[in-house]
Formats: sequence, C-alpha cells, structure tokens
Amino acid sequence: MKKLAGAVNYRYLLSLLLSILFAFLIGAGILAVSGFHPLEAYGAMLSGAFDSARHIGDFLEYAMVLCVCGLACVLGARVGIFNVGGEGQLLLGAIFAAQVGVWMDGQPRFLVIVCAALAAMAVGGLYAFLPGVLKVKVKVNEVITTIMLNTVAAYLCQYLAKGPWKNANKNMVAATEQLGAQYWFGNVIPRSNLTSAVFAAAVMAFLVWYVMERTSIGYEMRITGENPRFAFFSGLRTDQIVLLSMVVSGAMCGLVGMFRVYGVEHLYRDSVSKDYYFEALMVAMIAQYKPVTVILLSLFFAVLKIGAQGMELIGIPSQIYLIIQTVIIFCMAAESGITRSLTAAHERRRAKRAAEERLKEELKHG
Amino acid sequence: MQENAVEFRHISMEFPGVLANDDVSLDIRKGEVFALVGENGAGKTTLMNILYGIHEPTNGEVYIRGRKVERFSPKTAISMGVGMVHQHFMLVPSFTVAQNIVMSREPRRLGVLFDNKAAEAAAQRLVEEYGLAVDPAAVVREIGVGLQQRVEILKTLYRGADILILDEPTAVLTPQETDELFAVIRRVVRELGMTVIIITHKLYEVMAISDRVGVMRKGRLIGVENTCDVDEKKLASMMVGRPVLYDRLEKAGEAGAEQIAVHDLTVCDDRGLVAVDGLSLSVRAGEVLGIAAIEGNGQSELLEAITGMRRVERGTVEVCGQNVTGKTAGEIRKVGLSHIPEDRLATGVSRSASVTDNLLMGKQRDKAFSGFAFHQRRSSIERYAEEVYERFDIRGAGIDTAVGSMSGGNMQKVVVAREFSFDSPVLIIAQPTRGVDVGAIEFIHTRIIEKRNAGCAILLCSADLDEVFRLSDRIITMYEGRITGEFRTSDITKEEIGWYMTGHREGKEAAKA
Amino acid sequence: MDDLSAILASIFSSGTFNEMLRRATPVALAAIGGSLTEHAGIMNIGMDGMILMGAFFGVFGSYLFTSAWGGVGLVLLMGLLVGLFFALFVVKFRSDEFIIGCALNTFALGLTTYLSRSVFGTSGAKGFPSLPTVDLPLLDKIPFLGAVLNGHSLFVYLTWLFVLVLWVFIYKTPYGFWLRASGEKPETLRTAGIEPEKMKWLASILCGVLCALAGAHLSLGYLNGTFAENMSNSRGYIAFACVIFGAANPAKAYLAALMFGFFDAIGLRLQDYVSSDLTGIIPYAITIIMMVYVVVNAQRRRRHAAQQQLSRRARS
Repeated sequence: MKKLAGAVNYRYLLSLLLSILFAFLIGAGILAVSGFHPLEAYGAMLSGAFDSARHIGDFLEYAMVLCVCGLACVLGARVGIFNVGGEGQLLLGAIFAAQVGVWMDGQPRFLVIVCAALAAMAVGGLYAFLPGVLKVKVKVNEVITTIMLNTVAAYLCQYLAKGPWKNANKNMVAATEQLGAQYWFGNVIPRSNLTSAVFAAAVMAFLVWYVMERTSIGYEMRITGENPRFAFFSGLRTDQIVLLSMVVSGAMCGLVGMFRVYGVEHLYRDSVSKDYYFEALMVAMIAQYKPVTVILLSLFFAVLKIGAQGMELIGIPSQIYLIIQTVIIFCMAAESGITRSLTAAHERRRAKRAAEERLKEELKHG
Repeated sequence: MQENAVEFRHISMEFPGVLANDDVSLDIRKGEVFALVGENGAGKTTLMNILYGIHEPTNGEVYIRGRKVERFSPKTAISMGVGMVHQHFMLVPSFTVAQNIVMSREPRRLGVLFDNKAAEAAAQRLVEEYGLAVDPAAVVREIGVGLQQRVEILKTLYRGADILILDEPTAVLTPQETDELFAVIRRVVRELGMTVIIITHKLYEVMAISDRVGVMRKGRLIGVENTCDVDEKKLASMMVGRPVLYDRLEKAGEAGAEQIAVHDLTVCDDRGLVAVDGLSLSVRAGEVLGIAAIEGNGQSELLEAITGMRRVERGTVEVCGQNVTGKTAGEIRKVGLSHIPEDRLATGVSRSASVTDNLLMGKQRDKAFSGFAFHQRRSSIERYAEEVYERFDIRGAGIDTAVGSMSGGNMQKVVVAREFSFDSPVLIIAQPTRGVDVGAIEFIHTRIIEKRNAGCAILLCSADLDEVFRLSDRIITMYEGRITGEFRTSDITKEEIGWYMTGHREGKEAAKA
Repeated sequence: MDDLSAILASIFSSGTFNEMLRRATPVALAAIGGSLTEHAGIMNIGMDGMILMGAFFGVFGSYLFTSAWGGVGLVLLMGLLVGLFFALFVVKFRSDEFIIGCALNTFALGLTTYLSRSVFGTSGAKGFPSLPTVDLPLLDKIPFLGAVLNGHSLFVYLTWLFVLVLWVFIYKTPYGFWLRASGEKPETLRTAGIEPEKMKWLASILCGVLCALAGAHLSLGYLNGTFAENMSNSRGYIAFACVIFGAANPAKAYLAALMFGFFDAIGLRLQDYVSSDLTGIIPYAITIIMMVYVVVNAQRRRRHAAQQQLSRRARS
C-alpha cells in the first residue's frame, strides 16, 4: 500500500490540476468574448455528458476510442517512435473491416467478426510498418511520413468509398454497403454508442498495461526508448523492438476503426473518425505516455468532448473542447520551465545567504 | 609591487546540490603564467567560467585590472580583455576558420553584409603576427583538433584579449603540439605582456610553463605557491589532500590462449573517413593489452568495431576463437564479451532509468528475473541490485535513484558492476576512470586486475598514460589508425611511449638524434 | 495514343505551370520561414497551425475592415503573436518542440474552427474581399512564360523577394552567421557575447509571420476570400519536408515547394482522367519520397566517400 502511495506523482498531479483549471479559465474567457455566459456554457457541457444514459454511453464509447488510440501512441513513444499516423491506420482498418463484412455477408457472425478484426489489424499494422521501416532502416523522420500517410489514407478511403466499394444507395455519397444487422456489436447501454467492443478494448488496455509495466519485454521497450544506443550496446535488437511496437500500435488503431464500424456506424464513411487519433495523441502527451494515466485521462477528455457536443445545443461550437485540451498541454509542457524560472531567483538568494553565513562563521573562528 | 590582472574576492558558487566554489580568494598578477591545478570536479573550470562571465557567482566579487565586475556576461568579460579557450572548443564546425575567428565582431560591407574577404585578411594578419599557422579559408570541421585549438587562441587574440584562460589545453595535443603551444604562451607573455591562466591536471606541465601555481580541492583554494618552490610530489599531495600512494597491484598467473584476434581491420568514423587502417592485434587470456594513443587516432573506432557497435569495412575480428565480424553487439556479447564503453552517458547507461534497471540490463530475461509470461520478478531483481550495490560500493541515494543524478564515479561503478557481473572471458575497457574521483579509481583498478588474474583477456584503452602503464602487461601505441609500436610494459618508459604516439616508429634512436 | 498525348499536352500546358506557382506559394512561404527555425535548431512541427491561423485571420480581417489589405495587416500581427507564443514555450520554457508543435496545430484547428463558426456560422466564410491579381507589364507579351507568371496574387511575387532577402540574410550577413551558430553550436555564440536565445526568438517570430502570410495567401489570394475549416490541409508538414529537402536553404526549399506545386497541379490536370481522390494522393506521396531521397542520398554520399578513400589507400 505504501508503495502504491509512493507511485503517485504529486507534482504531476498538482500541475495537471492547475493546468486544467487554467485551461477552463482561458476557455471561459473565449466564451465570454464570443458572447456566451461561461458558467451556463460549462453547465451545458456537464449536462451534455451526464444528462442521460445515452450520453453516458456515448462518452464511455469515446473514452474507449481515446484510450486504445492513446495506448497505441504510448506503445510507440515508449520505444522512441512517434506514431502520428494512427488516423490513417484507423481509417484503413475501418474501411477494410467494413468491406470484409460486406464480402462475407451470410457467413456465421463469429467468423465474420474475427476476419474483420484480423483484416483491420493487418491493414493498420502494415500501414504503420512502412513508416516504421523507413525510420529504422533509412532513418527518415517518422513524424512527417506518418502525417503524410494520414492524408494519403484519407484520400484512399474516399476513393474506395466513392468508387469500387460504393454504397448502392444514391443518397450515400461516400460510404460502403451497410453490414448485415446480425454482425453489429450489441449495445451495452441502449440507444447509446457503447457496444460490447468496450470489453475487447478493456482487455487490450489491460494487456498493454501489463506488458509495458510488468514484464521484461516492457522493460526492454522502455530502455530502448530512453537510450537506444545503450539498449543496442546491451544486446537488444532495437530495430526489431521499435518496428514491432510500431506495427502493434498500427494494428490497435486499425482495430479501433473496426470497433467504430461494427459498433456505431455499421458501414464505412468519414464520420468513423474525425481526427480522433489526434485527440488521443494529445491525451497521451498530457499523460506523459503512462498507460494508467492515459486510461484515466481518456475518461476525462471523453466527458469534455461529448459534453461539448451538448454545448452545441445552445449554439456554442464544440471546438472549445480542443482549445481547452491544447491549453492543458501547453501548461503541462511549460510546467518545468515555469517552475525553473520561478524557483531560480529564490534559489539564488538562498544560496547567497548561505554563502555569507559561512563566511561570517569563518571570520569568527579564524 | 606588480599590478594584479585579476582578483577574486570570497567567491562562492553553488549549483543545485553542489558547492562548486567555496570562498575562493585569489590574485593573479599581470604578465604571469598562472597554473590552476586540481582533480576533476575541484572547481577550477567553474572559477574560470565566472571570470569569463558565463556564471554569476553566488557570492563574492571579481576585479579585473582593479575594476570591479558589475555584470557577469561573456560580453563584459570580452570587453574587459578576458579571453577563454574552453576545453570543448567553441567553434562552429560548418564555418571557416576566419568566420569563427571574427564571430560577433564581423567586418562588414554596406553596414549589414558580412565581409568574408576582410575576415580572411584579418585572420591571415593574426596568423602571421603570432606564427600560429592555419588556413583562414579552411572549414573548421575538416581540420584537426590541434589546429582547432589555434583557431580558438586566434579568436581570443582577435577580440583583443590580454588575459588568456586556457582550460585543459593539452588534453588533445601531441607532445610536439604541446611544446608549440607552450612556446606561443611564453611569447605572448614576454612580448605582449599578456597574462595567461592555464587549467590542467598534468603536473609536469605546471612545472614546465607556469610562474605560480594554485591548487584547488573540492571547491576550495588549498594554496598558492611559486612554481620554483614546489615539486610534483608536493602538488599531488595538495591536490588529493593526502600523499598519493597507490598500492601495488598484484598481478598473478601466466597468459593463456588467444581470446581476441583482430586481423587487418579497417573501420571508418562517423564522417566516413578511415579511422582504423588495416590493424591487427591479439590478446591472450590472463593479460591486459593497453592502447596508448592521443585522442582521435582510431582507438575508439577500433574498440567499437570489436564490440559490434561499428561497421567493419574490411578484415576480421575473432572473439574466443569465433569469427564475430559483422555480428551485432548482442551476438558478440553471447560469445563471451563485456564492454565498458568510453562514453558512459551516451552508451553505458540509461540516465532516466534507476540503478536497478541499469544493473539488470542484459540479465532481464534470466529465469531468476523473468517468470511466466515474461512477468518481471521485481523482488528478486531488487535483491540482486541491492547485493551488487553493496559489493561494488556504489554510493548514492539507493537502488531506486535515477542513474543520471549520480556522480561520475558512482555512475561508472554501476557500469563496471554490470559489465563485470556477466563473467565474460573477454573484456573491452575504454576510459575506465575518466571523470572519476580518486577513491573510485583505486577501486576500479583493483577490480580490473582481479579480472585479469582470474584469466580474462582484457583490451584496455585510456587517455591517462599512468593508467595504461599501471594496468597493462603489454602496450601498443596507435597513430592515425595504425599500430606504431608494441612493448612489454616493463621495457618502456612513458617518455618513450610519447614518441611512438606521435607516429614515429624508430623511437629511441630518433629521439636521441 | 491520342489519349496519352492529350494528357501530356494538358500536363505540360502553361496552365499547369501557372497552377504550380499558385499552389506552391503557400508551401514555399512556410518553408522559407521554416528554414529560419531549422537553422536556429528548432524542429518546427507547428507550421501547419501557424498557416491555419494566418488563413483564418486573413479572412477575418478582410471581413472586419472590408478590405483584403486590412486582412493582411491583421495576419502580420497574428503571425507575430503566434511566433512569440511558439518561442515563449520552445525557447523560454524549453518545452518539447514536438509536443508544442503538435499542440499548436490542434490549438489552431480548434480556435479557428470555433471562431469561424461563432463569427460566420457553420456554412463557412466565403466571398470576402480578396487580394487582386497582378499582371506584370510586358510579361504577357512573352508567349509561354507570360501565361505562367502572370495573373497571380501579389504574394507569389513577394515570395521571390522573400527568398532572395532571406537567402542574403542567412548566408551573407553577420546575423545569418549568428542564426546558424545558434542552431549548430549555441555555446559558441554565448561565449562570443551574444545570447543564442535572441536568434531563436527572432527565427520563431519571422517564421510565424511567414507562415501566417502563407495562410493569408491561401485564404485571400488563392481561394478568393474563403476560409474553410482545416484548410491548411497538412501544408505545414509538407513545408517542413521541403525545409529538410532543401537543407534549410530558402532557395532550395523554394524549389522543393515548386516541385510539390507541380505535382499538385498535375493531379489537378489528371482529374479529368482519374478520380480526384487518387490524384490528391500525389503531392503527399511525393513528399514521402522526397524525405526518403534526402536521407538515402546523404548516406550514399558518405559511403561513397569512404569507399573512395579505401580504394585510394589500397592502391598506394
């Protein structure tokens, strides 16, 4: 128990709370300037997330998306590769999963779901493999390549959903055929987005946490991320570790795409993800790439996001949510810098006094 | 009564957790060569950085030629005639010699344009004036360290310095280059009346060049003497606070079978230039082979190639009778090799990881530490770490501290503890005691000889010639990637070795002639 | 066969090259700004957000002052502020550049979308005063070149000026030397009595202004007074790739941006034959190939040098 208490980083907790507070203040300022009453707006945010079982289900579903994507990002960051391409991996995973369901229409439910999940993971993994190989073998900056690949994937999915895999219904502009209802994930909370996929996500989250925090593999990953040269020097095959983490990260993102299709959308269209991965990336950064923190913060930011949608009802653009989230990041990133400049002057004065004391002591004795 | 060039009054400098200077008061006379000696971490460089305005002292005052320093910044120091040649050169590698020399006081055209011609002309004038030959148009990245140091000195002269600080100037120089540097120092002092402060820990250099010498230990100034009144032995005991008497290391046993065999090895450095040039060597079980070479003569690349950290261009490496050419570091370790790398921060540890995690590396998959489903057995890992921590006398805040926050000596003990715990028959050891305090040096040396006596084949490389002599059974000298000489330690002296380290092959005769 | 020649004819028409210039300019403006931060040793991932801010405040200013030049004025101010903001975190607080860059992009996306919806409603901002196109005299007399170079917004021509000025600034003035030293070896500058942070602040601010101008060109020049959500569309990242490709030399980065513009324009031409969703991929795929080429080329050169040296030694 004592160990657990020791594991809580109070400095982190304090700076997180202060950052959140500050972000809400900034948000309130922006709201006020654009003519809304801040308290009313935040009230709408709160009720937007909690006023009904349906909204609670919605934010839990979104928390699931954030959490799995966030953990996928952590997986890369731990070994020193930043998978910014989760969005593309997610989209491709989603569209392939959807199309597998269309192709296999009429097959047993279990078989279709397993095949769709495998397809999504394979596609997502492969799509992460490319920037991974370029990083490991050729040393090309993965941030740029993965971001480029996001846009490529988005265009590719548009093309597939408008072209070869098009929905026969003329009203659907860019979408695949709808899945048979027997393949849909069951709802956990009726009429909400929360489906049984959340259990799979929970298992996945547990596995990621276990591997990273409790196993020798997680230890090797951590050392690789901290100092790759030391890891290689000590006998680890760092290239493989980095590449594998990247592929698993991509597979997880692909799987989230499949969850979105089989749980919520029941076909592929671009509302499968609207930069959800980037929001998850922000969560992972705020959590400083710690798995448990990612899980907890996912819930918090999911509440904000779904709540912000509730704010739209009174005419407030929901993007205020993005502003609050990024202000938190700015504060967290600047925390050590601000603390440093605040304490530096104080520290100087203290040291000077101490030096003068010593001098006086010596004069007395000498 | 000579005027003082610099006066330090009760200088204290505290960094978070470290008292680098503790009430230092020191006068430096105009026109003298003052040597500041002390161990690593004694506070010499900090004191000089204060003079150069890089640090503002926590307490105390500095006077330059009688004028009190009000604002501590390099800009002020430069304007008051202070110049400093840092241990790690302050040169922009992609700029030319001239561009580096004129930096911050560039000659201009039309008010805003950099006048490269005028810069090169100014550099050329300085070169001719002081006889420090270097091509002003050469790109700094492409010239050797000896020339780079000349550029540094020219830079301070260009800025009009008459108080010159040299921080460990001879660390990267050959004995010949050192002589040339000393000649320059004598000249600028005699002809221009400059004041030179030289930081060093090589005592024979103190005797050779300085008029007076100040000794620092643990942030305090222990004493100031006229150089002619002291000898090296006295200075050494002032430096460490007790007479330095290394115990004789007991070497036992005969050399056995060949364990490291390097044949016709060629290796390139990071820039793609040949660093090791068709080199062959062999080390047998139960012996220490020491490499003596000036920094940058391929010894680092040689060790990296043997341990799998660097590509082998040509030739073969055998460890324990197995050909390991082109294998990865991990594969070579499995054959039976451990390695203490020269740069422990970059290669030897993970700074943000705990002592435990740093000690565990390489053993993390052992049955004792990794159970079902790779579950880490934290309690047995911690027990192991505690035991090693005790046995290697690591001093710090315990096994959970981040290694990056430890002192150099303790960090090195963590590396040594880990690498020696594999019981490998072959050890590659580079710079085992760089930046390590005296107590730890003794400890690490003892451990190395224990390993030798237990039958390990050890290849040692160190910038510290004393260390090479103390530990090695045989010594090879390297110059520009080739072996220039091979000796039994008992057959040669340090002075002779120096000759071979500068690329001469027929040592003695030539030295006499 | 006729098809192919028709395609080729449309690709290499003056219209394509005119389009190339138009499309390259926002990327080029950002890229020459990025050259400055790159020289100052700052990995600037946040250019996309800077562009987006410029794009929005251009339209916003144009709406506020009912004049495109008012928009440009506001953009200059906002660019300055964004640059200051970026430098505050990256230089003053020494925060992680990658995190700040990513956060800046998302922040810009959130803020511009929020403001756009608050001010203009969900339908977006269209048809505000935009920058006039400029026809250089005499140029229209030249057959092919005239059609390529004429009829652009002023920014296209201003970019050439900026490239020249910045190139001179970086490589031919003392300040440029300080800037490069501040990135390559900041201690050198500090011990010479100049604070490297000053150069980093300067680079960040200029980069902010140039990226904001890139955004202004996007919304006021290129799209005639229109702001669309997330309209920077990863151009900031492409600009970053151009910086790397051009080794932070503004002239080379500009050429890289032109290459991007060329492939973008080709994509436009090919839309008559292939789905626009597929042609949209082209510039992004080209960017990846560019990045790989830079690294592979550098490695190859190093290996080549080593090989040459080895064979020279073997002969002697």
